[in-house]
Formats: sequence, C-alpha cells, structure tokens
Amino acid sequence: MPLYLMPFVQANNMTDVILKVENLVKNFGKFRAVDGISFSVPRGKIVGFLGPNGAGKTTTIHMLLGVTSKTSGSISYFGDNFDTHRETILKRINFASAFNTLQNRITVWENLVVFSLLYEVRNYTKKIEELCNHFEIESLFHKRYNDLSSGQRTRVNLVKSLLNDPELILMDEPTASLDPDITDKTLTLIEKLKKEKNLTLLYTSHNMDEITRICDEVIFLDHGKIVAQDTPLGLTKRVKNAELRLEFDGKEKILKKYLNEKKSVFSFPNPNTVVVKVEEKKIPEIIFGLSQSGVWITDIEVIKPSLEDVFLQIARSKKHDKY
Amino acid sequence: MININRVVGLLTQEFFITLRSLEVIIDILISPLTSLVIFGFLALFLSGTNIFIAHGLLSGVLLWQTIFIIQYSVSVGSLWNIWSRNLSNMFISPISLTEYIFTYSISGIIKAGIIFLLSSFLTLIIFHFNILSLGLLNLLLYFVNIIFFALWLGIILLGLIFRFGTRIQAFAWGVLPVFQSLSAAYYPVSILPKPLQYIANLIPVTYVFEAMRENLVDASVISWNLLITGFVLNIIYFIFAVIFFSFMFKESKRTGQFTRLEG
Repeated sequence: MPLYLMPFVQANNMTDVILKVENLVKNFGKFRAVDGISFSVPRGKIVGFLGPNGAGKTTTIHMLLGVTSKTSGSISYFGDNFDTHRETILKRINFASAFNTLQNRITVWENLVVFSLLYEVRNYTKKIEELCNHFEIESLFHKRYNDLSSGQRTRVNLVKSLLNDPELILMDEPTASLDPDITDKTLTLIEKLKKEKNLTLLYTSHNMDEITRICDEVIFLDHGKIVAQDTPLGLTKRVKNAELRLEFDGKEKILKKYLNEKKSVFSFPNPNTVVVKVEEKKIPEIIFGLSQSGVWITDIEVIKPSLEDVFLQIARSKKHDKY
Repeated sequence: MININRVVGLLTQEFFITLRSLEVIIDILISPLTSLVIFGFLALFLSGTNIFIAHGLLSGVLLWQTIFIIQYSVSVGSLWNIWSRNLSNMFISPISLTEYIFTYSISGIIKAGIIFLLSSFLTLIIFHFNILSLGLLNLLLYFVNIIFFALWLGIILLGLIFRFGTRIQAFAWGVLPVFQSLSAAYYPVSILPKPLQYIANLIPVTYVFEAMRENLVDASVISWNLLITGFVLNIIYFIFAVIFFSFMFKESKRTGQFTRLEG
C-alpha cells in the first residue's frame, strides 16, 4: 500500500465507521470520472474532500447520495449496504450544498415543514424554530424561498440539512456565498455539533482555511483518484519549502553572494527585502549564516506552507507518487 | 411499502405549490372551466335541436379535463422541483420512487376530482346537463379507465423528462392534445379517416368515449365490451409505463442526467 494511504488504514480498521467506500468506480461512456477510490469516514470525524474542478468530488458525492449510480464498487453506511438499505440510511444522513436549492415557489417555513415530514421529524415546529433561531433566519419564515439572497438560502439549506438530527452530513461547499460572519457562525455550529453530538461530516470546499480549521482528515482527489490522504497538518508538512522573508539593512551584494553559494531561490520584492524559498529545516542555518556574513537583519517572517500550497502542488502535478 | 408521513409531506408540498403558483391555478382551474364554457356554448350553437350532440360534447369535455389534470399533475409536478433545483433534495430524502409516483398520482386524482365536481356543477347550472344522467356505475367505470390512462401517460412522459431533461419538458403538456384528437373525445371514431381509426382503437380512452356516447342514449346500459377492452389496454400500457419509467430513471442516474436536470 502506498505511504499516502497509510493514515486511513487505521480508519478502515475502526469498528465505528459511518461511511465505507470500496473500489468505487464511475464511468460516463469511455470517460472514467471516479477511478476505484476507497476510503472510510469514522464517527465523529470531519473529513474534507478536496480536489481541482473535474477531479470527481461531485460525482463521488452524488454516488454517495444515490442520485448518480455507480459503475462498480460498494458504498456502505453504518455497516449496511447503501444499495439494499437506502431508506433507513437516508433517514440518518443529510446533505447541504450552496448549489442546489429548495422549492423556490413556496416559503421558507413551508419548505422546512415539507422536509420535516419527509424525514419524519417529531415536534418539527419546535425543531425548525430552534434551528432558524441559531442561524438567525426566523424573520424569513414567511418569505418565499425565491426572494431570499444567496446567503439566506444557504442558511435555510443548512437548517434543512440538520432537521433530522443526522449522524452524517455530506456538505458540498456549504459556505460558498456566505459572508465571513455567517461563515464563522456556521463553522462554529459544525464544531459544536461535532463536539456535542459526535456529528460526522464529509465536507467539500475550496476554502482551505475552512478545511484546515474544521477537518480532521483530508482526502485529495485528482482525475478520479485519491492522490493524498492525511490530516491537514500532515499534508502541509509534505510541502518541504517554506518562504523566508527578511528585511535587511544594506549589503545586498553580500546577501546575494551568500544565497547563491547556498544555491537558494530568492527574489527582492523591494530594495531592502528578500524572499527566499527554502526547506523549512534550513531556515535557522540561513539566518545564522547571513548574520555571520555581516548582513544586518531587521525583520524575519517565515511563511509556512498552507493547505492551499498542497492543493496547488497536487493540482499542477502530473505525477502524484510523491504525495 | 408506502410511508404515509412521506406521502403527506409530498402532498403538502404539492398543496403549497398549487396555492402559490398562478400558473398551476390557471392550468388546472381557469383553463378547464373556460374551455368548458366555450365548448358548451359552441355545442349548443352547433347542435341545434339535437341535444345529444351537445351533451356528448359536454361529457367529453368533462372527462377529458380529468385526464388532463391527472396527467399534468404527474408530469408537471416534478418539473416544479426541477425548475427550483430541488429534485435532488427530494430524492436524497428517504422517499422512495414508488411513494413519489404514488403521491403525484393521488394529488392528480384529488385535483381532478375537485375540478370535476366544480365543472359538473357549472355544466348543470349553465347548460342544464347533469353528468350523472350517464349513470353512476358508468361514470365510475369511465373514471377507472381515464385515471389509468392519465397515469400511464404521465408516468411515461415523466420518465422521458428524467432521462432527457428539460429540453423535452414541453411533452408534459404537449403530448396529450395528440391523444385528444385521436381518441374521439368529442366525436365518434367512425368520423375519423380509416388509418386514424386503427390508431384510435389502440388508445384505451377511445372506448370510454364510445361507451359514453352509447350511455347518452341509454344510461341503463353498461358497455362492458368497450369498457373492458379499454381497461385491458390500460393495464398493458400501465405495466409497460412502469417498466419504461423504471428503466428511464435508472438510465438517468447512470448517465448523470438526473443531477444535470437541475442545471
């Protein structure tokens, strides 16, 4: 087994696995959109699903929800096969997306009543009021869904996704179109639900800060294959180069000479600033060396690799073996 | 197994949509009632002293409205969710395909029943024609046939929409008039050219309208031959429709069309 799959071996062996996917394949004619992926989502974990456009994320989510059929492979939730236990499984999970909407002809309240009935939510009036109160949308009850702003719609979608107290929610970019305040509140609620109710999430987003903040594990997809799986920290550690930004006082020639000797990649964004791309572990050596050679360093900033750097490297890489 | 809560949930959505959509109210209430009035006066004008022609036309309109409303509910009901990009939300809830189709069928039958009562009352008041004069049992047998006809046609059209998307959504309201012209709703089959008569004989409701015209003359007669022929055809087509829909639904999910329905 490749090294990058190792962190999830543990998950696969865990007894309380909410979602288990094995060798999932989806072909559209001759095009293979999802190419034999396998992963597990343990209870109480938030798993980020990342990848560039066309990587196969949405197709995978659609197969996990049963609205696109798989070509081969298996999907099981709570230990039951999704093909044979669709109804009981769908009662225990839910979905939220910024991209599909609720019935736009009817009001927010009416939409939520309909979904409460579909999910057989008991005492749904109280439930709807509580959730809407949390998302600050009680004032929208009698507004038609069509008349809501995109941010308001997203919040109503989130309420709908929480109506049945799901054990697992699949979220496809749920915070796209939300303002920073509501995004933060949404993420806080997710964190709270995870803590209090042991909620499990499969979460796609293009916002790397969000993923870093809430996800326990991240799965990177590209060209239908899993190209990396790890914790957000583990993934960022795979990008060895960091950026060292130094402010210095004069002596540019000495600085250039030293960095050339060290075969470093560097640039001068302005006269007294140099940005050096360097392996994180070599940063102390560079700083020490420069100060020894007589360069007066006035400010030091180390920009560590982020999940975004990992994303860009994976998205732009032809060969994924190194991940 | 049908789950009543989920059926009530979907029926509730249907109720809210009907209540809040002027298009639906015009399509299933205003248009049918207007047609009834127009056809009624036209029938009175053309029939002269032969009141059977007028009554035949009015009965045809009343029964055809029922077919239209049921088929419209089954086929167009889903389009409201497709246009709202809400169809996926419906199908990732625990509702089953059987419950989904069953609910739209029930919804169509309820709506058609209400409009039929209203139209019949209007016919009685304005044109002094009581549809019950055709005989209660006869009406019941007509209804069994026309409900089946509207359902299988609606299900086939819904299957096509799921499979091929909104580019063929016009079928939902555009196919029925073709059947209307061929099934001799307002005139006897014998008036059609011979080749069209063969086609008419393949349409189950043709037999209902033929039976209806016989009952206008004598309501005590039950045209079993005609009604059973229509019923057998309906059952055959209904079975085909269910198989066809199931295949189209699977194909829609296999090709990814189902999620693309929402754009």
